[in-house]
Amino acid sequence: MEKPDPTATTSARRLPGWARGALWAVVAIGVLSTASYLTDMPILTSSDTSQTALRLGLPILLAAIGGLWAERAGVMNIGLEGMMILGTWGSAWGAYYGGVWVGLAAGILFGLLGGLLHAVAVVTFNVNHIVSGVAINLLGLGVAKYLANLVFEPISGNPRESPPVEKFDTYSATFLSDWLGALEDEQRVVLSDVAGLLRGLVTHVSPLAMIALLLVPASYFVLWRTRFGLRLRSCGESPVAAESLGVNVYLHKYIAVAASGGFAGMGGASLVLLEGGADYLENQVNGRGYIGLAAMIFGNYRPSGLLGGAALFGYADGLQLSGGGAAVLALCYGAVLLLAVIVVLQLVRRHWWAAAGGVAGAAVLYWIYWTNDELPSDLIPYTPHFVTIIVLAVAAQRLRVPKAIGQQYRRGEDT
Amino acid sequence: MTEPEPVVELTGITKRFPGVVANSDVHLTVRAGEVHAVCGENGAGKSTLMKILYGMQQPDEGTISVGGEVVELRNPQDAIKAGIGMVHQHFMLADNLTVRENVLLGAEGLYGMGRKARATLAELAERTGLRVDPDTLVENLGVADRQRVEIVKVLYRGARIVILDEPTAVLVPQEVDALFETVRSMQADGYTFLFISHKLDEVRAIADEVTVIRRGTTVGTVDPKEVTSRELAEMMVGSELPSPETRESTVTDRPVLRVSDLRLDAEDSERAVLDDVSLTVRAGEIVGIAGVEGNGQTELVETIMGMRKASAGTVELASAGGDLRDITRLGTLARREAGIGYIAEDRHRHGLLLRQPLWSNRILGYQTRPPVSNGRLIDPAAARRDTERVVEEYDVRTPGVEVLAGALSGGNQQKLIVGRELSGEPVLLIAAHPTRGVDVGAQALIWEQMRAARHDGLAVLLVSADLDELIGLSDTIRVMLRGRLVSEADPATVTPTELGSAMTGAGEEAA
Repeated sequence: MEKPDPTATTSARRLPGWARGALWAVVAIGVLSTASYLTDMPILTSSDTSQTALRLGLPILLAAIGGLWAERAGVMNIGLEGMMILGTWGSAWGAYYGGVWVGLAAGILFGLLGGLLHAVAVVTFNVNHIVSGVAINLLGLGVAKYLANLVFEPISGNPRESPPVEKFDTYSATFLSDWLGALEDEQRVVLSDVAGLLRGLVTHVSPLAMIALLLVPASYFVLWRTRFGLRLRSCGESPVAAESLGVNVYLHKYIAVAASGGFAGMGGASLVLLEGGADYLENQVNGRGYIGLAAMIFGNYRPSGLLGGAALFGYADGLQLSGGGAAVLALCYGAVLLLAVIVVLQLVRRHWWAAAGGVAGAAVLYWIYWTNDELPSDLIPYTPHFVTIIVLAVAAQRLRVPKAIGQQYRRGEDT
Repeated sequence: MTEPEPVVELTGITKRFPGVVANSDVHLTVRAGEVHAVCGENGAGKSTLMKILYGMQQPDEGTISVGGEVVELRNPQDAIKAGIGMVHQHFMLADNLTVRENVLLGAEGLYGMGRKARATLAELAERTGLRVDPDTLVENLGVADRQRVEIVKVLYRGARIVILDEPTAVLVPQEVDALFETVRSMQADGYTFLFISHKLDEVRAIADEVTVIRRGTTVGTVDPKEVTSRELAEMMVGSELPSPETRESTVTDRPVLRVSDLRLDAEDSERAVLDDVSLTVRAGEIVGIAGVEGNGQTELVETIMGMRKASAGTVELASAGGDLRDITRLGTLARREAGIGYIAEDRHRHGLLLRQPLWSNRILGYQTRPPVSNGRLIDPAAARRDTERVVEEYDVRTPGVEVLAGALSGGNQQKLIVGRELSGEPVLLIAAHPTRGVDVGAQALIWEQMRAARHDGLAVLLVSADLDELIGLSDTIRVMLRGRLVSEADPATVTPTELGSAMTGAGEEAA
């Protein structure tokens, strides 16, 4: 057979997933600390930035996990946005009447209802996945508005906003945090940068953040190591084969999409219930559902990857909030460094065109960095969006998409 | 030796679908430890029968008994519980999952998902000759290994009775031999096989008993050692059979297709998929390409059709005047308009729109030409009329031209395609596996049509894995190996065995 030898092509990229993740984390930290050193912008690696990044990355992370569950079961979930909106309203309502844990539960429940609706449409009635998703986004927005009008307006006097609700307490690993803080203040190259980034992750952390972060390995475990997960993924890869082996495809899809909605609702709750976040506010989700989906795709439909995607987005968002235009420019500089690394990598692999593209991108970014002292302030809030688009465009090549995604499946129908 | 007990008995099975009776009063008795072949044309009702036995469909009448007890099989799980497993013709595998995941899926409860499952899997893989890492993605496996994974899947669930649905349709001769060896060694271990096929030589080689089905009902059960392939085939078709032999040579000296030094690079490496391929097909000539699948035949055909862009070399086609015209730079539609008819190797992927009616399938590839179009607009009425003509002339068995193409059996779909491609008055026909997965009746008709067209001066490039077909139809045979045309054979003298060894590269240096 003249098929290309599969072992030959894969052995080069046979690094286990966690090792590659760690490698990329090291590269990222290296690039950031170099950039912060060269541009004299310590904010790039300050604990403030990473703390904000964590808070802002959470909703994205949760939406991405939601996307992972649905898409792995073969259902496209554009409706994450709408489910998140439902989650924001639900959590504000629950938290106002019953405290923050009730709020979280209500947020999840509302998201889950959105997910179930999507499942009914897509699985039972075979509606096109995109159409149903868009419908749920519109519906989520409308329902939240209506309910806010009905429930919140009499209390807060404003139909666009909920009354102030309780927030999650935060916890710090005091000893660790102080030690890292001391290290950060010493301003030593690399060491202080790492300390700063880490400190942000162990200071003022809410239980919700811990749960969300735990959901990443948990999702991996459930989806890849259990029988339920195998069955769920088989629905996304080949529902016909799964059905022929006695897997209840409908049931698994229902569970997956409902769970997906639950996670998205949790993501919505994380917008409302975290220290420093707003209470329920109209339009506060603002496209985060889509970005979560993008982060998940960027992460190649894998939990570790979507964590990276969410971190990237959260970081860019946190940076522009805490550092403003100057910090974003420094980030451009960091991106130039990163591209340099990638170009070298591509040259080694003899991917000339990719390398050339990398050089061109680096040149443009460097030009932006060089010619501007200040970026137009209207654009700065959109930094994370730019970052997402660029990263997606660059990273979208070697994706392993679940094979039966978006397909309408009807039991007992051949081919 | 006493007669072993029957393990499966189907009695008086009848199954009706709206408008058709798929099975009527079928009787089938399978004894323990035998290889029992079920033969019949496509559309004869074999598949329906097997689906009934595997619980995918319920019979309207009749009973099924397994191991002497009458059972009701409402779904595949019931069948699996009764010890019946099925290897589908179109593999039921998820490409993106690993071998192990594919095997375990749905049967996680049997041996868990840990070490015990691994051990069982390893043992079964050994037994079926599957030598791959269980953590490889199925995507990376060849067809023969995929089939083994399917068999392992069935065994993992504890099946003792294995249904093989057209298992050899996708295999090359050497792989078929390997499969048969596996089947025989498993038979010695006490497994029972139901072997669905319409390749009679294979049936005779492997089966202990053969049951023939025609038009939904059993014609009879015979001992394959006592009948010839021809007798079997006549039982299947119910009439005298034609053979693939072309009678007299009609080769002219007018070249219709000339391919020179054609080269195609693989998408992701420097390796050439096609390497300096040169060949000429003359009017009235059938040139056969033999080769183990995956050696560049598909790519050759698709490059000539313009579906892939050649890296180097030229393709020339005779124009109306008879002189050759370079078509290397033309697109696929332009090439078709220049007079190439194309029977694609996978009719579901390339030849047909399964969810469209027959008449709109008639338009495919001819959307710019009369009679189905005036060049700008499609003429549905004319398309319907012309489809009716094709249905009539090529004996496509269908209730009408509004039927969806997917509702026809494989043989009838293929007859429709052949009819369509020959209706465009082509000068060259590229036929890739024209009778793959097609029953004897349709096969005979397709051969007859190709022969008639050749007689009228059509040039044909025939790619086939069926060596009898190649030898019977071709005027010249070229053997393809690793992207090159390595040797030539004279169909008048060559035997399938010689051809088979040339295909695998034995004696490649000599050639």
